[in-house]
Amino acid sequence: MSTTTSLDRRRFLAVSAGTALAATGLSACAGTAGNSTGGTGSGKTTLTVMTVQNEWPDKKALKAAEEALGMNLNVIIWDPTKLNAMLAAKNPPDVVRGFGATETPYFAARGLMTDLDSYFAKSSVLKASDLDPVNDVWRYDGKKQGAGPRYGMAKDYSQDSMFWYRTDLFEAAKLDAPSATEPISYDEWLDLGKKLVKRRLGKVKVYGLNATGMGVFPQLMGMTASAGGSLFAEDLATVDFSSPEALKALQWYLDYAKADIGPSVSNPNPDGWDGPTYQANRMAMSCNGYWFGGLIGGDPKLAAVSRFAPAPQLGSHRVSSCFGATGFWIPRDAKNKEASWKFFEWYFGGKPAQERAASGWGIPSLTSLRSKMPQTSAFQKQAFQVQEQELPHFSVLSFTPYAQQAALEGVLSKVLPGALKSGTPAGKVADTLNSRMNEQLAQGKELVG
Amino acid sequence: MSTEQITAPGAPSPSGETAARPGPRAGAPTGRGRGSLTTRRAFSFYVFAGPWVLGFLALTAFPLGYALWLSLTNSDGLSNNSRFVGLANYREVLTDPETLSSLARTGVFTAITVPLTLAAGLLLAVLVNQPIRARGLFRTLLYLPAVVPPVGAALTFKLIFDRDSGAANGFLDALNIDGVSWLMDPYARWVLITLTLWGAGNAMIVSLAGLQDVPKELYEAARIDGANTWQTFTRITLPLLSPVLFFQVITGIIAAVQSFLPLLISLDPTPRGVTSVPEGNYLFMIHVFAQYFANGRYGYASAMLWVLFLIIIAITFLVFKLSKGAVFYAVDPEPDKTSRPRTLGGK
Repeated sequence: MSTTTSLDRRRFLAVSAGTALAATGLSACAGTAGNSTGGTGSGKTTLTVMTVQNEWPDKKALKAAEEALGMNLNVIIWDPTKLNAMLAAKNPPDVVRGFGATETPYFAARGLMTDLDSYFAKSSVLKASDLDPVNDVWRYDGKKQGAGPRYGMAKDYSQDSMFWYRTDLFEAAKLDAPSATEPISYDEWLDLGKKLVKRRLGKVKVYGLNATGMGVFPQLMGMTASAGGSLFAEDLATVDFSSPEALKALQWYLDYAKADIGPSVSNPNPDGWDGPTYQANRMAMSCNGYWFGGLIGGDPKLAAVSRFAPAPQLGSHRVSSCFGATGFWIPRDAKNKEASWKFFEWYFGGKPAQERAASGWGIPSLTSLRSKMPQTSAFQKQAFQVQEQELPHFSVLSFTPYAQQAALEGVLSKVLPGALKSGTPAGKVADTLNSRMNEQLAQGKELVG
Repeated sequence: MSTEQITAPGAPSPSGETAARPGPRAGAPTGRGRGSLTTRRAFSFYVFAGPWVLGFLALTAFPLGYALWLSLTNSDGLSNNSRFVGLANYREVLTDPETLSSLARTGVFTAITVPLTLAAGLLLAVLVNQPIRARGLFRTLLYLPAVVPPVGAALTFKLIFDRDSGAANGFLDALNIDGVSWLMDPYARWVLITLTLWGAGNAMIVSLAGLQDVPKELYEAARIDGANTWQTFTRITLPLLSPVLFFQVITGIIAAVQSFLPLLISLDPTPRGVTSVPEGNYLFMIHVFAQYFANGRYGYASAMLWVLFLIIIAITFLVFKLSKGAVFYAVDPEPDKTSRPRTLGGK
């Protein structure tokens, strides 16, 4: 009898396949392990934090954060693709940076977020009574945003339909500056943009206006709300661009893009945001909230010619929402939840939070820190005052749990450029958007149930 | 001849008898020992082949099988309510206008870039194969772009062609010509094609290796026969290089249809960045990425990838069929033992 029969090729391949599948399975099981404490062997917990590159810009800053927390930080650069993959593999980071306003319903509806109510209840640092109302965008009760369990917390926020303008460009165009107390209408805003734009050989050299800082879809949501309507149906499962209010918002955006006075779906800003363009004297008005003042305040010359204005209104409803509320959340399958909460208390209530509040990069998300907002220079005083007057008009606009913002933006960026080129009437554009977005939302609804 | 002489097993012995397999000599290991040798050899085979087999199963076979399963569901990767939908995703792939248009765009991109890259690589190879001074330096410089990782190359192009601060518009400004939005329609596709051609050093190095395999005697003979440069190139160089070029066509097509560069030179390679890829550069793989990560349609995107896989196999098969008679092998890849060896030119 040959001794090779005990290890023939077929059996070897079968064993290999089994081993490979077992290894894959084990890896998945490891990801689903409960509240174990990650460690490095030194006894210190290692917390995996998915955040942006400049959160801790150098090794020194990271080391200081680790010392303050008494744990090691394993930093993963924020990347929604990687996050989706990690969530799908049930091996997510312990703490994840995200946009509360647009992401909470999506992730919460899929049961991917940790309910933080019990943590808030027992915390002596982060008390529910001290939370700014903006933190409600991190709540979702299964039907609407703004109610139900808290799934995350904003690090700071802005009312993102407000806008900044350059007084020097207004003076050069011999135009009156917008009011600091009364919102102008969207039509007036567009008209100002047309007057402020500068062209050379038919090409824009100085933008009159950028009408969307946080994406076109949330902007259209805010505009529709200020006209008295809602882009989403009550159950958040469909959009209706054909309603009079939404159609008015869509028509305005088409007019704006057609006027070619600023970045739009058919002419996106290659920088991805307004900072460099505004700073280079190439944009007269920029639709960004209070956070943008952090950039302006860092440049004294820019600060001297920059002022802040209330959100324009499409109708009579003075609605001034937040489309970001950037902060952190803890995935349901995170391995170190207690350590994650410790991170929360330090980051949102400790020294980092106080420093952020004083920097002018956004409104603090704890009301007790609001007094730290900078009010020294004339620029800071004006911005603070305008922001204070805008706060009472804040409201939570519920986003859908059935699609991610990127998906809806994707439809807009596919449909609108063609419509602009062909001059398709807003009504027909609305029908196309309804059809394509609602198809996506229906697919999402089937999955969420 | 001594019977101690080593004779190939099964070969006729000088005496006309077929030699038996060498048997154990006196004092040599018995049957058990022979078995041990076989086992040791088998064991070695399995030890050396094992890592690859495990890697293949875990990193190729399992993901492929899983993707095939996903393609039959409506999964978004995150929800627990996904269900089996049969071939619905495949039906949608074959009927969705956006998917089909991205596929058509990819076909055009492939049809443009593969021949151009091949021609540029061949031209460069011919040039750096000449006996010129500092030939090594030229070869290195031309090959360098191919060594740069695609992400680095894409970021470099993004900087060069940036509308506001890019060198391309800076150059135009210096000539008092108004700059353009290079990374938007209608220019973006040309930037993409230029970026693809920038990596032609890879094709150059493969063609150069092929060129150096061409026997010099053939050129000498052609010169004696009075052939000019063009005739030498078309009658000797190209036919002898055709297997190398054929290899590049196949691998070039596969790489082009899987191209992900548009997303790398768009604003940011994230799901939100997908929305900023200009229409002209919205290739099939970008659409796949959008379906996976922006729209959360893991099932549909997996079906798209399987369709692409089948398309690549079909194209490869077609190219093999069409290339019959155009590719000349010095040694027949499938030798027919009954016929004489094929000579140059396949005749």
